[in-house]
Amino acid sequence: MPTDLSALRARVENAANVLGRCWPLQSYIAANPLAGFEDRPFNEAVRHARALFDGCGYPRANQLRYAWNAGAIDPDHLQERLRAHEQTGPLETLLAELEGAEIRSESPAPRADDPLNRIMAKWLAVFLDQGQAAWSMPHREKGFYAAWREVAPYDTQIPNRASLRTLPERAVDALAAGLDGHPESQWEAILQHHLTALPGWAAFIKWRVQARHDAWQAAHPITLIGYLAARLHTARALGLSVTPNNERSAANRRPPNDDEYAERAAPWLEAWEATYREQLLSDLEIAASTTAQASASPRPNAQLVFCIDVRSEVIRRHLEETGPYETFGYAGFFGLPMQYEAHGTDARVELCPPIVDPKHRIRETPTADSGDAATHDRWQAWAQAGRSLVKSLKQNIAAAFGFVEASGGLFGAALAARTLVPNWLRTGREAWTARIPQPDDFCDLTLDRTPEADTPDGLPVGLAVQEKAAYAEAAFRLMGWDRFAPVVVFTGHGSETANNPYQSSLDCGACAGHPGGPNARVLAAICNESEVRAALRERGIDIPDDTVFLAAQHNTTTDAVQFFATPALTDTQAQIVAQLERDLNTAQDHATAERAPTLRGADLKRSTADTERRAVDWAEARPEWGLSGNAAFIIGRRALTSQCNLEGRAFLHAYDWQADANGTALAQIMTGPLVVGEWINTQYYFSTVDNAVYGSGSKITQNVVGNFGVWQGNGGDLMTGLPLQSLQSDDTTPYHHPLRLMAVVQAPVDRVKRILNRNAQLRMLFDHEWMALAVMDPEQNNAVCRYQPGGTWQDESEPSASTTEDAASVSEPERAMSV
Amino acid sequence: MAALSTRLVWMLFAVSLGALGVHATVGLNTAWGDLLRIDGLTLIMATVVTFVSGIVHSYARRYMDGSLHQLRFYGRLLALTLVVLLLTAANHLALFAACWALMGWLLADLIGLIRGWPQAQAAARRARWSFLGGSALLAAALGLIAGYTETATISEALLHTDMLPTSVLAGVSVLLVGAAMIQSALIPFHGWLLSSMTAPTPVSAFMHAGLVNAGGLLLARFAPVVAGLPVVMLAIVAVGALSALLAQAWMLIQADVKRQLGCSTVAQMGFMVLQCGLGFFAAAIAHLILHGFYKAYLFLASGSVVTAKQPPKTSSSAAGGGTLAIALFTGLVGGGLFAWLTGKSVAVPDGGLLLTLVVVLAVLHAGTTVLRTTALGPLARAVALPLVVLPAIALYAGVYNGIAALTVDLPMAVVPAEASIVHGIVGMLFVLAYVATERGWHRERPRLYTALLNMSQPASATLTNRRSDYHAH
Repeated sequence: MPTDLSALRARVENAANVLGRCWPLQSYIAANPLAGFEDRPFNEAVRHARALFDGCGYPRANQLRYAWNAGAIDPDHLQERLRAHEQTGPLETLLAELEGAEIRSESPAPRADDPLNRIMAKWLAVFLDQGQAAWSMPHREKGFYAAWREVAPYDTQIPNRASLRTLPERAVDALAAGLDGHPESQWEAILQHHLTALPGWAAFIKWRVQARHDAWQAAHPITLIGYLAARLHTARALGLSVTPNNERSAANRRPPNDDEYAERAAPWLEAWEATYREQLLSDLEIAASTTAQASASPRPNAQLVFCIDVRSEVIRRHLEETGPYETFGYAGFFGLPMQYEAHGTDARVELCPPIVDPKHRIRETPTADSGDAATHDRWQAWAQAGRSLVKSLKQNIAAAFGFVEASGGLFGAALAARTLVPNWLRTGREAWTARIPQPDDFCDLTLDRTPEADTPDGLPVGLAVQEKAAYAEAAFRLMGWDRFAPVVVFTGHGSETANNPYQSSLDCGACAGHPGGPNARVLAAICNESEVRAALRERGIDIPDDTVFLAAQHNTTTDAVQFFATPALTDTQAQIVAQLERDLNTAQDHATAERAPTLRGADLKRSTADTERRAVDWAEARPEWGLSGNAAFIIGRRALTSQCNLEGRAFLHAYDWQADANGTALAQIMTGPLVVGEWINTQYYFSTVDNAVYGSGSKITQNVVGNFGVWQGNGGDLMTGLPLQSLQSDDTTPYHHPLRLMAVVQAPVDRVKRILNRNAQLRMLFDHEWMALAVMDPEQNNAVCRYQPGGTWQDESEPSASTTEDAASVSEPERAMSV
Repeated sequence: MAALSTRLVWMLFAVSLGALGVHATVGLNTAWGDLLRIDGLTLIMATVVTFVSGIVHSYARRYMDGSLHQLRFYGRLLALTLVVLLLTAANHLALFAACWALMGWLLADLIGLIRGWPQAQAAARRARWSFLGGSALLAAALGLIAGYTETATISEALLHTDMLPTSVLAGVSVLLVGAAMIQSALIPFHGWLLSSMTAPTPVSAFMHAGLVNAGGLLLARFAPVVAGLPVVMLAIVAVGALSALLAQAWMLIQADVKRQLGCSTVAQMGFMVLQCGLGFFAAAIAHLILHGFYKAYLFLASGSVVTAKQPPKTSSSAAGGGTLAIALFTGLVGGGLFAWLTGKSVAVPDGGLLLTLVVVLAVLHAGTTVLRTTALGPLARAVALPLVVLPAIALYAGVYNGIAALTVDLPMAVVPAEASIVHGIVGMLFVLAYVATERGWHRERPRLYTALLNMSQPASATLTNRRSDYHAH
């Protein structure tokens, strides 16, 4: 029977909808592992995902217990939510029931499809390898299915391997043959069953398929069809049925294995969220009412633009305390959809969010006849030669033995130094960078359009004047700027950690998991160009002549802010910059002092030095907290938030409702940065509530595979998501509170309504409770108005329908009992 | 517990180092009755084991902070350290066997430190059975020795190996070699090691840098027994060479960093056993120490491997004739230097020639790699080569000579085995493997590739195919 191949392709697409995407470790992106379920209500989505992946979608009993004991769940809110879910009983009993549902059963029985999973994971690991193995799988350039077809007949783990000698040449034909005997109505179920058997690997394949610019996918292509074809034929050769078995039925799931758990945990989660949100909104309301009367402030000495990242809030708050500075929040790629080629590499890095396609290539090139460049490159060549020599000797089949003997002594010394005196490494590195010229000292960025540098396979190099002006204008409009200080600093951010496979998860998410310094440099340089300023003037943005733009990078591990090479400054500007650098140092000390108590084993008295140790210490599993804690996304003027300590839990996007009458800027913020905020928040949420299924488990037993991912111990499925040490203070205490994101928008309610009506995708996220929305209407005296799933709005002033007489029944003694 | 244990281990290191210094200057051979005897080998091993254990302790203080298993982790790590110290000093046959069994038991327990993770428990069971088997072999061997020599101590027994009939000597040797092979994860007993990555990284570091070495210690301690029959020595050479070359080939194809390191350990232990088979027990001890540093470092740094890489373009062609000639010359000079510094005979061919050959191959490879690095100027390359190679060889020769001097009065300082056809074949295999990989003969061979990949897989019960099985504590 000839199969309709286009129908088959469509079936594969559909079946793969339930998979999230897993980015490689070099450019880690926090995304919703249940992104494929966002078209359903949250509770329905997690129930469905539980059936497929055996993952828990609600906070665990111990996490709820922790939150309850810490007072993070308000008893009134809890009673109200319990009533809404029609649950009654003493709180302690309810909590104990939740805990009881978590008791682990005996170790799982062997499963029929274990041999199949083992064989598939084995071939996927060696095929997808990105440079870890010295001897790669033969014929990888032909693609996964074709390469597997070459090796499968020799795979002694498959008893009936002889049957694999006569497979069709094309993957899609092979997949059709693998489904032979099953009616089309069953296909999707069969395909989904196989795609969700090793969901981590499938999620990485799904990313590879969609990564258009990825060099590895171009060199060694893989498709979901190719993977499924190989899997189905392996299953058949192993004598397994390709149809879904009942191994993943409810009876075989680990505890808490009933949907009831979700129902019982939901009110606790909602009360936890309500407690945080009510507190935040009331803080903001108070701040709004006090700052509303404040008169216009004088021109600040400097304005600094930071990323919207939750970590920026801490350093911004402490910097503002030190002097006449204004700070802003803007997506850390500064609106520049660029690909970046650093000096001395041929790797092109995409420095823009995953929802944006890069449009320009910026290269870092040495200025003409730079002796510094030669010096730098010579040292670089030596270091590179040393590294490749070591690698080559390690891997050589006969030379490795002599190499180990000759180098063992040095490794012993390095062991002692890195473990016992990690700070030496930092001192050494600093001495090195001070002596050797660094690229940003001797390199220029190719800002101007340079057609001769274009390559056929690449993006146009540089930007035209009007493009530059457009990006600068977009930045100032989105943030609602009306004045310019003598010094304006665009501050990207990056982390500094050692021996950390998840380093890029701590870098700037808006720069696709890379440090955002280059984007800051580009935007600052653009804004300093007189042609651009002229073009901006035509567009109604007048930058005074005494304003200079600088670029810096915020080190989120140590809270140091470091400037890139600065242009010529006037005396006034130089004075401001000198003072700013001193104040940034003060702010760093205050910020690290604020963070120190949250970091295990921190030296509270020398908090900055302690973070500097963490940044280089190879034994440090918790160098910094990344975006842990994130729970709110505030779009509005800094005046709204500047009086509040947001504890590094809020994304802050600058927005001035008065400068955006038609709502264009707000629509862009809500459909761009806010949605990325939801990706990040859901990743942190699910990684926390089920670190095994949606996160990547403990770092102490992680094993980096293929130079792009992690598996646990000896291998198996690919782990996706964040490691335990990025989310929890210890094995059982959450540091990240798994709360869904609440967006707070300071704008007229009608404007927000219009935006929601025009953007169904965005509205869906609120309607399905993937995040919540509150609007503070400045035209209504900043009254809070909350969006309700379904499209209604709830006014703060309206009495809550659920307030009844027994709300007060949770008395202090009852709380105390449970502590 | 953590702080106390760490301090104690570092104190033990200081004591061991001090005692080693005393031994080196005035000689320190003490015995406590029949139970313990402290000699050069004891002190060398004690210093190295306490150093690696101290590093692992200090590292874990930060790395394992916040882990629920800390108490069990430090308890077992400390116990293991003490057991190994006792093992190096044990003179009573029964004490030696008891330490050996306890060491295996504790190590298996550390592999399964994460109680709630079924695959970690499976890995621990796998290791425990292996070690039980190894302990049984050792107990049988020591029982035979005790029975035939009618002594209870190692030192006495080794003086009377002539009391063992040839058949018994052969049997005892096979049992000892078997126990050493299991402990050092030699092929075909590598399964437990390649399935042990469920252990936390610091445990792996200690395991690969310390505990697999016990196989070498066993062979060195009982050198007069295993070296008693030339055919046994040749068999040791053969099993060592097999593991060295085959596991190194496995290592090339692994995609995950820890299994890559595991395969490398199997290969390096194979080479260490090969050195024993050649009669160079001091060289074997030097190798296992230096390899321990090397492997502990790589395990502890195993989170650093993630770097941005581009897909390889067409692989660079093999070295040209001129490059090869210079590299070969350097290799021969390096080998000659090594032989001269370590007093190996080149004129009279014996087992030492094989060790020299390995040095020649390493230098040859370093030479071709450096000379092909076009990013450096010709002068830089010419300077870099001797600058890198010569001090490295001198350093190694220094360690080797130091260990040889410290263990000179031990019965293990045997005469190198005479050259034989087996040595010739092994030497040729090393050269062949070198040329094959240099020329890329192994690439694009699906059958060979698949066979090597399947041989180096961990036990299936230790693979976490369903993520919901994974549990962090």
